Amino acid sequence: MIRARKADAVTVEIVGNLLLSIAEETTVSIIKSAYSTNIKERRDVSTAIIDPDGNMVAQAENLAIHLGSLLTFVKGLYKKFPRESIVPGDMFIGNDPYNGGGNHLPDIVLAAPAFAGTKLIGWVVNMAHHSDIGGKVPGSTSGDATSIFQEGIKIPIIRICKDEAIISSVMDMLLANTRVPTEHYGDLIAQISANRVGVRRMTETYEKYGDLLLECMVELQNYAERRLRHAISTLKKGVYTFTDYMDTAGPAHPDPLPITVKITIEDNSMVFDFTGTCPQVEAPINVPYNSLLATVFYSMKALVGADIPSNAGIYRTFKVIAPEGCLVNSTHPAPVGVMIDTCQRLPDVIFGALAPAVSERIIAGCNSACTTAVFTGNDPDNKDHVFIYHEAIAGGSGASRHSDGLSAVQVHMTNTSNMPVEALEFEFPLITIKKYALRKDSGGAGEYRGGLGIQREFEIMNDGVRYTGLGDRQKFQPWGLEGGRDGYGGAYYLHSVDGSVTHLPSKCTGLPVKKGDVIEVLTPGSGGYGDPVKRPPEKVLEDVLEEKVSPEKALELYRVAVRIRENGTYELDAEETKRMRA
Amino acid sequence: MSYMIGVDVGGTFTDFSVFNTETGKLFHFKRSSTPADPSEAIVKGIEIILKENAIKPEEISYLAHGTTVATNALIEKHGAKVALLTTAGFKDLMEIGWQKRPSLYDLLKPKPQSLIGPGMKFEVNERILYDGTVKTPLNEEEVVDVVLRIKASGAESIAVCTIFSFINPSHEKKIKSIIEREFPEAYVTISSELVPEFREFSRMSTTVLNAYLGPLMKRYVKKFEKTIRDVGITVSPYVTQSNGSIISIKETEDCPIRTAVSGPSAGVVGATYIGKQCGVDKIISLDIGGTSADISLIENGVSTLSSERLVEGYPARIPMLDIVTIGAGGGSLARIDAGGVMKVGPKSAGANPGPACYGVGGIEPTVTDANILLGKLNQKKILGGRMAVYPERAEKAIRDYICSKTGIGLYEAANGIISVINSNMIRAIRVVSVERGYDVRDFSLMAFGGAGPLHACEVANELGIGIIIIPPSPGTLCSLGLLMADTKFDLSRSNIMLAKKENLEAINGIFDSMLAEGTGLLDKERVPPERRSFVRAIDARYEHQNYEITVSLPGSPMTEEVLRDAIEAFHKEHDKNYGYFDRDKNIQIVNYKLSAIGDIDKPDMHEVSVDKSAPVPRPIETRKVLFQGAQEFVDCNIYDKADMKPGCTIAGPAVIEQMDTTIVITPEWTAHLDGYFNLRVEHEGGQR
Repeated sequence: MIRARKADAVTVEIVGNLLLSIAEETTVSIIKSAYSTNIKERRDVSTAIIDPDGNMVAQAENLAIHLGSLLTFVKGLYKKFPRESIVPGDMFIGNDPYNGGGNHLPDIVLAAPAFAGTKLIGWVVNMAHHSDIGGKVPGSTSGDATSIFQEGIKIPIIRICKDEAIISSVMDMLLANTRVPTEHYGDLIAQISANRVGVRRMTETYEKYGDLLLECMVELQNYAERRLRHAISTLKKGVYTFTDYMDTAGPAHPDPLPITVKITIEDNSMVFDFTGTCPQVEAPINVPYNSLLATVFYSMKALVGADIPSNAGIYRTFKVIAPEGCLVNSTHPAPVGVMIDTCQRLPDVIFGALAPAVSERIIAGCNSACTTAVFTGNDPDNKDHVFIYHEAIAGGSGASRHSDGLSAVQVHMTNTSNMPVEALEFEFPLITIKKYALRKDSGGAGEYRGGLGIQREFEIMNDGVRYTGLGDRQKFQPWGLEGGRDGYGGAYYLHSVDGSVTHLPSKCTGLPVKKGDVIEVLTPGSGGYGDPVKRPPEKVLEDVLEEKVSPEKALELYRVAVRIRENGTYELDAEETKRMRA
Repeated sequence: MSYMIGVDVGGTFTDFSVFNTETGKLFHFKRSSTPADPSEAIVKGIEIILKENAIKPEEISYLAHGTTVATNALIEKHGAKVALLTTAGFKDLMEIGWQKRPSLYDLLKPKPQSLIGPGMKFEVNERILYDGTVKTPLNEEEVVDVVLRIKASGAESIAVCTIFSFINPSHEKKIKSIIEREFPEAYVTISSELVPEFREFSRMSTTVLNAYLGPLMKRYVKKFEKTIRDVGITVSPYVTQSNGSIISIKETEDCPIRTAVSGPSAGVVGATYIGKQCGVDKIISLDIGGTSADISLIENGVSTLSSERLVEGYPARIPMLDIVTIGAGGGSLARIDAGGVMKVGPKSAGANPGPACYGVGGIEPTVTDANILLGKLNQKKILGGRMAVYPERAEKAIRDYICSKTGIGLYEAANGIISVINSNMIRAIRVVSVERGYDVRDFSLMAFGGAGPLHACEVANELGIGIIIIPPSPGTLCSLGLLMADTKFDLSRSNIMLAKKENLEAINGIFDSMLAEGTGLLDKERVPPERRSFVRAIDARYEHQNYEITVSLPGSPMTEEVLRDAIEAFHKEHDKNYGYFDRDKNIQIVNYKLSAIGDIDKPDMHEVSVDKSAPVPRPIETRKVLFQGAQEFVDCNIYDKADMKPGCTIAGPAVIEQMDTTIVITPEWTAHLDGYFNLRVEHEGGQR
């Protein structure tokens, strides 16, 4: 055993590496043995190592939205099960976002204590997104839930294992509340087994380091805190405010929903105050407090230090105030199934406020929505088989003072990939993709242009298909910075086989469509940065050649004239451009 | 006399391994690389070898090299002016990609730089559906028109990739023939010939990468062949592919992408070969150089392959050795970060300014500086006495950059640098082993590269590995590997169908066409029939899954019985990889794979007799060395490797020096020299 060392600069780095690798190994173990696609392919899984006091020490997260999910589980657990009552062989489960659990009910958390003999040395806690936990619709998350009770079974923090054995009454109860019991069981077993792998590695680590391991756990949090405080101390002190709006929360809430933040930067700490944000809604876009914390931490990582480790130490450096019952700190029983929509917008709000303080790294407003299209229909050859095809379509990412925004990317809290066109058409022959392209002119004009959104056209190949589309940032466009223009908002259109075109609402559920109809999805672009007239004409010409900017907009917004050449391509009209820009 | 030559082109040095097939003697040679034209150092080096050893050019019976032409063109972005031609509605696919951002938290990280210039993406109206039926037929007049526009744009090269071409290549083939007619000077790659595989973005990206490299590779091949002929060498040279095998240089003209990540693969081939000599077939290879470490896993004497990997940010769907590279090497810089914790790498002092102890301008501490202070490296001269070192500069660097910022002592800091860099390598080794379901303790560690043998014992200790193999010349294992490769073509087709007996005929049809193609390729390589072998495999999945598992098949043809065995093997493999299987689910076959392998003559290394009682040589000196976890320096014997006779055993703690590396044997480990001059270093407890 290594006894002589202190928790010094070297040991802390090495133990930090080790704990992270335990968390990663636990995550890999879940991904390998789980059943459902969410876990295996979207890697909607996260593992954290928690110290004996319940503070998070290390986390292996695959999605930024997981950053806050495991923060308070063990602390919540201790309220119900005093520390002394926890013994080797225990394991706990829970999913209530209002009581320690994940972001929404499908995120099920499993927590296992690690012991050295009878001494508690920490916890391994993992979370995975399950494909169905009951609720009003298959998949549990619906676009029109009005209460969390419609979103599936709620599991308070309870024991699932005692003396290493699964408590069968608990498991039975869970399996009775899902539409896919085999898959659900497989995924839970994967989470339980993975935690055991993690616990074993924790015990081995303790055998090697002894109490130095516990000292390092404390020191790792101090380290993250120091890193973040140091980064904050370099920011311009002051009070910064910003408001952005969600378009609607569906038919019951047709009006814009303001999200307001007031950020105070002090010497080496910050306060994020969301007072002024609209009240929670009877729609599933409410944000529980831990998910709000995740968006704040994501924003800090993005702005001041991508490699600051995720642990409880960082939350000592900033305070997050949000009135209970508001959209971003909702209370039971407000539904939270698609909190991701609002969570996507929150970093934009924070960035908007901090633009004057962190001008070097800030980006303009992004597509900041989760633009989805879902198609369901019966297999014409096998009536028993129902197709469900779900696609989240990316958009633009804002420009910065150094560079154009990225086109066609998922931003902020999510970063999942698309389904290849060839894979989806094979799996779901009711759809053919007619077009999957960058959406011309959707990136806000600027010295640095905003990233473009996507234009995607789904052609319906059979009757009897239903379409559901949920999006936002259609009314309130992604904003530009420092003279950069706003990017385009998103839109949904139905091009009927009869030739008519209908502008569909941003939240549309279960619309029947016919063979030959085309659903066109236009995702939001993003804001530009700086005065468009400062963009070098050659860059604008490049954009025109790439069909990112139309010749008309080049002239109107950038004051760059292009003319068509004999071979059909464009060239710069230097004289006219000079005249326009004079 | 007859000689075989392997040439490995590295960033700093070009290494040569020369084997005399009659005497069985092997020797190595080194020359500075010439990055502007890598073939210059190769040809110059060969000329010197010929002259110094009185070898006639026609006595060279084999010449293989790893080319960096493709790799460098991609890094420096000086490939061809390439045009993309695709299905209407999809011209932006290269930029959309998987619609993921390149970094989760670094918002300013750009997408990879486009390989296609502005206005060089072209579309044609045509559409094939998932079952191969044509929804929109190709309009030839339109294609002619588009090809003429491409010609007018000044393109040198055209990448053609249309949706579902892997299932029905007729449109791509037609387009190709029109290009050959209308624009014959152009270099053309069509996706259905290069990678007839499922999933459009990876296929398109591979096609574009290939077309981007094609014209350049063609010029290189032409020039290289000529210079070699001018020297008088008559044999046709080979080039390494990313899958670790070799092909005739001529073959790389059509698929240069296959050489794009071949750099570290020769080392893995070398490690596999040395493993066979030593009778170990489960190996973790650890190649540590100045700036990076390459790590791979070899099981049953075969290194693991991956079928897709990012090349300069773009997916390349070509079979390649599964090698993990991390920024950890002798030149890696150590620092204390803003939170007061030590970080080592990935930034490196490189060759210039180099480690502080080299005294050529470096002032920041590196891993090499720490090794000098700890006594693991010679404190006067390294590289077999060729290069002087200055321990006092290493000490100053560590004091200035580490001690003054943390309050920890000098030697504690030096040892800390080694702990941190080792822990980075250990994490990477866990990625290739534990995270893929292997127990790392069952493996031997093969340490090579200039710095591998320095760190091997301490890394193995942490991982619980009990056996370390150090090849005779760790610094030149890559060029040796070039003498040990076979030729191998990995062919693949996609066609999604259920693994049912109704589809047997279709499956056999696919394998037959690949067999014909593979036979043709081996014909071109002039591999005699008795030295050919063909290995078949399928990528399969349960219906509705979106990831596949590879299952190898016994010989052909596919019969009901073979299919039944394959299905059973799939369930087993799924269980091993994912912890469950389900006999009630339908299995889909997605890809069909055939490797056409040609056995190439290899050096026959002679084992010299081993004298079990060979005495421990006299140490050249003693030095104080501080090992990991130890509190104090211990006196340590320093040996010259050249003084060791096969059969000789040296117990740690000891340091063994040779020209191209330094081998550190920590306490509790024992080094034994075998009849091939490999060092087998074992832990007291043996395999753990």
